Amino acid sequence: MGVFFSKAKRSRVSEHDKAVLQVKQQRDKLKQYQQKVEKQLETERQLAKKLLNEGKRDRAKLLLRKKKLGEQLLSKADAQLENLETIINDLEFAQAEKEVIKGLQLGNEALKQVNTLYSIEDVERIMDETRESIEKQREIDEMLQGVLTNEDEADVEVEFEKMMADSRVAEPEPKVPIAEPEEFVSLPEVPSEEPSSPEEASEEAEKTKPSPDKEKVKSKEKVAVLAE
Amino acid sequence: MSEVQWPWQYNFPPFFTLQPNEETKKKQLEAWRDLVLEYVKKTKTCIVDVQEADTTPLFSNAAISRKLSLEGIQAVLEMLHQKGNAEPIDKTKVRWYIYWHTLAEWADIFYQHAQENGLVNSVCTLYELVNTPDKEFTGLNEEIVIKILAQLQKDGKAELILSDDGSGSGVKFF
Repeated sequence: MGVFFSKAKRSRVSEHDKAVLQVKQQRDKLKQYQQKVEKQLETERQLAKKLLNEGKRDRAKLLLRKKKLGEQLLSKADAQLENLETIINDLEFAQAEKEVIKGLQLGNEALKQVNTLYSIEDVERIMDETRESIEKQREIDEMLQGVLTNEDEADVEVEFEKMMADSRVAEPEPKVPIAEPEEFVSLPEVPSEEPSSPEEASEEAEKTKPSPDKEKVKSKEKVAVLAE
Repeated sequence: MSEVQWPWQYNFPPFFTLQPNEETKKKQLEAWRDLVLEYVKKTKTCIVDVQEADTTPLFSNAAISRKLSLEGIQAVLEMLHQKGNAEPIDKTKVRWYIYWHTLAEWADIFYQHAQENGLVNSVCTLYELVNTPDKEFTGLNEEIVIKILAQLQKDGKAELILSDDGSGSGVKFF
């Protein structure tokens, strides 16, 4: 018996839970009732159709009236079902609201406890101490800035050495004029594409005198032109 | 409810006779176990009555004029019992619960459903639980559901709310 008693104490199901469960059970019963009535209505509709086919119009009409009554019962059941669903939602939302209020209360109490740890005077003292510490830090920063002058001098020396290195790099610049002969060499090739008149060919020969190899090429071209 | 896929053994006449060879018998019972679990899963059968086995195509194949003997059916059910997939309802061992998932597996399925659908920390009736549409446990026998939820209760994940006045039972998930 003790075991059962202790188990009962450990239950995590509240009276609120039991109330919600009871409403849900009523909802389930209503749903089952609806299913039963719907099935009966379908059966009677089929029977009415059959009676109509057999020419028994009066009995068919009687069944249809009964069916109409069943449909009204279904509508009432629907309305009650909606009421039950509303109650269930309200109950569950009330539970959620209760949890929220409890959370707010816990937060409020925690805030009060924190506030009791510090009085306004304590806060003022802490703020003053903080302000003094900030001023001290600022003075230290200013002193360190004075020392930075030595570092600036070191940076100046580094930059000076860089400038010296840059001036040395400038020496290779005279190499640029060496490229000019290459450009000069490429010039004669362009006119060779137009060997239509002999006068131009003779002019080209004069220009290429410094290059013996190219003179040979030009002489060959002359022969080709003459052949044409 | 999808169509039951009968294995090749179902059309093999010796399948319906307990085999004398121990190794062959072991394989036979394993095939029967697979067939029974597949059948009850597809047809959502929860209870098997040994004396009414003839009324179901599970243990009898009219096409080949064969049916498993009473002794054979009991051997199959005992094997399922050892695997955690069956349990006699009473001491006479005539009617059996069949679980195509073990109770522990079912417990996980139900708890996962509770977590995925916001049922944790709230109560719901067993009726609405087993009538959740399009679930593997839809329409599951309520007595088996109580056994499954008792597993979760043992693990502290749920608490059953069983009423004595027959007004219906419920469960609270945690």
